[in-house]
Amino acid sequence: MTRSQRSSPIIVMVLVAIGCGGGKPQEAAATTQESGPSAPAQAAQATAAAPPAARHGTATVRGTVHLSGTPPAQEKIKMDADPICQQQHATPVYSEEVVANATGALQNVFVYVKAGAAGPFPTPASPVTLEQQGCWYHPHVFGIQVDQPLAIVNSDATLHNINAKPTANQPFNVAQPVKGMKTTKKFAKPEVMVKFKCNVHPWMNAYAGVVDNPFFSVTGADGAFAITGLPAGTYVIEAWQEKYGVQSQTVSVADGDTKSIDFTLKSP
Amino acid sequence: MFGSCKALHPRLRVIRVGVFTLTLCTVAATTTSAGEPAPDLRAGAAAYTQSCARCHGATGRGDGLDAKRFYPRPRNLALGVYKFRSTASGTPPTDADLFRTITQGLPGTNMPDWPHLGEETRWQLVDYLKSLSPAFAQTAPVPVAVTSDPGPAHVKLSEGRALYEKLGCAACHGSAGRANGTSATGLMDDWGMPIRSADLTQGWSYRGGSDPRSVMLRILTGIDGAGMPSYAEAMTPQEAWPLAYYVASLQESVHWNMIAHPLRVQGALPTTPEDFRWAQAERTDVRLRNVVTPEGEWASPPTVKAVSFEAIDNGEAVAFRFSWDDPSQDREPPDAFALLLKPSGTQGDVVTLQAWPYTGAPALDLCRWSADTGKASETIAASFDGATGRAALTSTASYADGRWRLVLQRPRHPADPAGAATIVGDGYTSIAFAVWDGGNVRARAVSPWVEIALREKLRRHKP
Repeated sequence: MTRSQRSSPIIVMVLVAIGCGGGKPQEAAATTQESGPSAPAQAAQATAAAPPAARHGTATVRGTVHLSGTPPAQEKIKMDADPICQQQHATPVYSEEVVANATGALQNVFVYVKAGAAGPFPTPASPVTLEQQGCWYHPHVFGIQVDQPLAIVNSDATLHNINAKPTANQPFNVAQPVKGMKTTKKFAKPEVMVKFKCNVHPWMNAYAGVVDNPFFSVTGADGAFAITGLPAGTYVIEAWQEKYGVQSQTVSVADGDTKSIDFTLKSP
Repeated sequence: MFGSCKALHPRLRVIRVGVFTLTLCTVAATTTSAGEPAPDLRAGAAAYTQSCARCHGATGRGDGLDAKRFYPRPRNLALGVYKFRSTASGTPPTDADLFRTITQGLPGTNMPDWPHLGEETRWQLVDYLKSLSPAFAQTAPVPVAVTSDPGPAHVKLSEGRALYEKLGCAACHGSAGRANGTSATGLMDDWGMPIRSADLTQGWSYRGGSDPRSVMLRILTGIDGAGMPSYAEAMTPQEAWPLAYYVASLQESVHWNMIAHPLRVQGALPTTPEDFRWAQAERTDVRLRNVVTPEGEWASPPTVKAVSFEAIDNGEAVAFRFSWDDPSQDREPPDAFALLLKPSGTQGDVVTLQAWPYTGAPALDLCRWSADTGKASETIAASFDGATGRAALTSTASYADGRWRLVLQRPRHPADPAGAATIVGDGYTSIAFAVWDGGNVRARAVSPWVEIALREKLRRHKP
């Protein structure tokens, strides 16, 4: 901690049990080990004081995200480097970078309220789960609120490492060598998107949209999204897609409204 | 807290153990330092400009004059991502971590050690480096929980071996530690540069130190920016020690000799890598340098980084056993090896193989073995390419778990090819090596010249 660690030969060691906590800004993500082999005892950080009541409303913004142009062919993933991965797939696995159906509807698009939501909103105590199963991240794209727990689970009997590369938040790279291991992390600041990758299995990647409100959705196989519970107001809604980037629209809703907005992303 | 700890004593160590934070205030008897100097960013900046900027760049972005030729690249200090820490993955290093890296350098890279700068200057550099990145102001270092070293007598290497298997270390580092795991190829660092996992048998290449404590810290903290993840949540601090000792036990002792002495035997020379007499011969290790490609060394991280050899002679011929780690056994394009000598009458003409062959370069005596044919032959040639040998040489090679072993026999005075080098009986004969990894074709590795000295003269002077 102090630079005086440079001294090597230690003659006298005096144990002084003082709390060396504050003094410097600290944003280390709280990490708790909930399972796994002989986890060290670690104190979960106390949650902050309860934020003000939720400002949920009754309006809904829904719609569909389409791709204009021909979607690229999905790359076939080779897993033969790790037999444990290979054995779990009887059929070929394809990259999820662009997943479009016959009508061009795009799956795995993160749609969220970028501006207009008047927080703060309560932080959900229930975790979002990112599972590694079949040497694949489930889900590939997901939303999570600031400070909401993210439970990262290894359901494979092989080594995974979760290498998270946020820029606004604190990055981490942790190993999960044993099936059933669970690591819980939090992100302290909004960031769209945070990428996760596994160096052991370089085809594995996932994206989290970290937002400071509960108004987000990820498109399903039909390209549809629905953001519910919006209070009356004017919002900037942004759609993010892994390959094609972001697009946004502004929409105003009154209480009880259901408005439709569609996004069309262009394949170059 | 830092203030209060300092008030107790200038020499402190903070270790987190479980839910407790303990401060170990220590007194070091042998250090002569008067403690850390007050930050002096102007002095730090001046020292940086003089000693660091050439590689790390004027503003610390890792874009100095020589940066593109280096593997690994000089660190972009503006990002605040540091590989060698005592802190949790994602948190910055401690001042002591930075001081250690400056003082000891990073073995196996172009980062030298800087003890000659003086302690005060090194601390000023630490403060200056921290000023280059907002990471230090945003996030405090979080030291990983560590336990004291149980010492080699109190760890079971078998426990370490079991952990090595259970924790998946072999996925990248290989079951014998030779960097030949199934995930070892195609690794990229966070800056998009290709990287290779460490060959754990090569203790001299461990960037952050090869002693068990350094290894233990790499396991628990991970190597941020590279692929190595933190195992702090996958094991207890106590478990890290047997694993660290096991990894350290994979390191082979090396002998960086400039002069190699062959073992003299009577009669037939060994023809196989398994011959018992190799164990009696002196081992010599030679570091290899990658020949820089137009893209720079980083475009193809070196896979073959050293060659070790033993030599046995019987007065008529010399048998060499060469060993080198290569993560893949390749036939197309083939793995290959060349023993080079200086043809008769050309001593000193080719100073370094890194530049050879160049336009108008003198020819060299090339004894080349290739994995596709499994054969070796000798020729005199002015380039590696198209050097088809004329004189066949006796050779045997084997490949197992990331390591080639090649036995090559060569007469001391070959009749063929014309102009072939003589391995002299009295004095020194220069030899050098070139190694090709077929799985990494752009990365040809070459050695400096080393000398072999037969013992004839020595024997003659004996009564």
